Amino acid sequence: MKEFTGRALVKGETEGEALVINEISFYGDVNPYNGNLVDGRNVKDKIIVAYKPRGSTVGSYIIYALKENGFSPKAIVMGKSEPIIIAGCVLANIPLVDNIDVNALREIKDGDRIIVKNEKVILLK
Amino acid sequence: MYLTKEEEKILNGEYGWGLAKAMQVIVSVGDSLNSEKLIGITHAHISGVSYGNIGEPGKKLIKQFSDEGIKFSVKTTVNPIGYDTLDYDAIPFTKIDRNYIKGQEEILRSLQKMGADLTLSCTPYYLPMVNEIKIGSSVAWGESNAVVYGNSVLGIKTNREGGPISLMAAIVGKIYYYGLHIEENRIPEIKYKVNKPENYEINEVRASIIGEIISKIHNNDKPPYLYEKLRNETTVKEFSASIGAAGNLAMVVIKGITPIKFNEKEINETITIDFNDIKKREDELKPNDKPDLIYFGCPHTSKYEIEKIAKYLKKVDNLKTQIVITSSRNEMSKIDKDALNILKSKNVKLIGDTCLIVSPFGYHGLNVVTNSYKAYFYLSKKGINVSLISLDDLEEVLRL
Repeated sequence: MKEFTGRALVKGETEGEALVINEISFYGDVNPYNGNLVDGRNVKDKIIVAYKPRGSTVGSYIIYALKENGFSPKAIVMGKSEPIIIAGCVLANIPLVDNIDVNALREIKDGDRIIVKNEKVILLK
Repeated sequence: MYLTKEEEKILNGEYGWGLAKAMQVIVSVGDSLNSEKLIGITHAHISGVSYGNIGEPGKKLIKQFSDEGIKFSVKTTVNPIGYDTLDYDAIPFTKIDRNYIKGQEEILRSLQKMGADLTLSCTPYYLPMVNEIKIGSSVAWGESNAVVYGNSVLGIKTNREGGPISLMAAIVGKIYYYGLHIEENRIPEIKYKVNKPENYEINEVRASIIGEIISKIHNNDKPPYLYEKLRNETTVKEFSASIGAAGNLAMVVIKGITPIKFNEKEINETITIDFNDIKKREDELKPNDKPDLIYFGCPHTSKYEIEKIAKYLKKVDNLKTQIVITSSRNEMSKIDKDALNILKSKNVKLIGDTCLIVSPFGYHGLNVVTNSYKAYFYLSKKGINVSLISLDDLEEVLRL
C-alpha cells in the first residue's frame, strides 16, 4: 500500500480502478455519450489518473455531460490541473485531487485499485 | 481563500443550489490558483454560448441554472453565435440545420431568462454600457480578443475566464483576486520595438504578425510592452485579437494607448523585432489568387469600418467577389444610409450576431481573404485557405 498526498479541489471519497492517461483534454478525447476515450478505453466508474491537462474551454461541459449521461469517472487525480477541469468537476461533483508529483503518480498503473479520500490517494497493492 | 460571512453562506447553499454551485466553481478555481480572496466585478461577458461549440452538454448546464430561477448579479453580455438570428441563410455556402437553430435558441432563452443582454457580439467594448465602465474596474470576460482589448485599451481588469467560468462569475458577481486584477501584475518588464525603415506603417496585418511573434517569444509573467504606434482602431483591435488567438497572453501595454502609469526607466530588457521578419510572414500570408470570398468582421466590425468598406466599394464598378461582413446589431443600427445602400447594391452580405469561426461556415479548400489574423488562425484549422490583407488594400485584392 502506498499513499500520495495532493490537494483536494473537489472533496470526496471513493474507490476504483485506475485509468492512466498521460495528458487529458476532455474535449475531443472523451465521448460524453458513452464515456469512450479515443484510444478505446472507457472512463465510466474509473478513477482517472492524468499527469497533465491539455486545454480546451469546452472541457468543463464534457465532464458535466459525462455525469448527466451516466458515464462519469468516480474521481480524477492529476499531477497538475487547470481551471476548465476544476470547473467541470465542481459542476459534476466529481472528486478532484491535484498537485501530486508526476514521478510518484507513475507508480500507479492502469487497472490498479486505488482509493481517493479527499487530498489522499491510496494505491492498494 | 478568505471568504466573507455572506460568501460562506452562498457557498454552503443557504441561497439555493445554483448560487452555491457557481460559488463553488469560482472558489475552487481561485483556491487552485492560490488566490487570497474574491473581488466584486461590474460586468461579465460570456463566451462559449454557441451551440456548435458547447453542444447539448452546454445547453443542458445553462438550462439547469436558468430553470432554477438564477439571475445574473451583474450586467452580462454574450458572445456571437453561428448564424444571423434575423436571417438563417445569410452566410454564403452554409446551411444551418434546424436542430442547430433549435439548440441555439434554447441556450439564448436560458441566458435571457437569467438576465443576459443578448448582444451576440465579440466586441462588447463598442457597447455604451461597457464604455462607461471606469478604468481599473474588475470584470470577468471570456472572449480572448475582448479580454486583451479590455485590459490593454480600456484599462479594465480581467483574466481570460474561459469555459463556464465567466458564466459562474456573472451569477455570483465575483471573481478570484488573481493575475491581472492585481495592479502590480499589469506593469510590464519587457519592451518590444520594431526595427523598421522610415515611413513603414504598421497596419492591422503587420500589427497582428507582431502579435503572433510576441505571443511566441514573450516569456515573462508580466504583460509585454509594445513600444510602437498602432495607426488606428482597426489596427489596435486586430492586434488584440491576434494576441488572444496566437497564445495565452491577456494584456499588452501599448504605447500611447494603454491607460497605465509605470516608470519606463525601470524596464531594462528590450527585444527588437525586425521588419524583415514581419515581411516574411506577411508574404507567406498574402493572397495570390482571386478569393472565393472576402471577409471582414473578426472581431466584429464597427460602424466606422463598415462605412469605410462601403466607401472603397463605391469606386468599384464590376464587383465579382462575394464580400461578407459580420458585425453586432448595435453597430449595424448606426450605419449611415448611403453606406448601407452601397453595400446592398454590391451584394455585400452584412451579417449580424455571427461568428464565422463558431458557425458551420466553409469547406475544405475554400479561398478566403480577410484582414483578421484571428480568422486566419481558426478558419485555417477547418481546412479553409485563408490569406491576409489590410482593409486599406481592399482595392488591390479586387484586382486579383
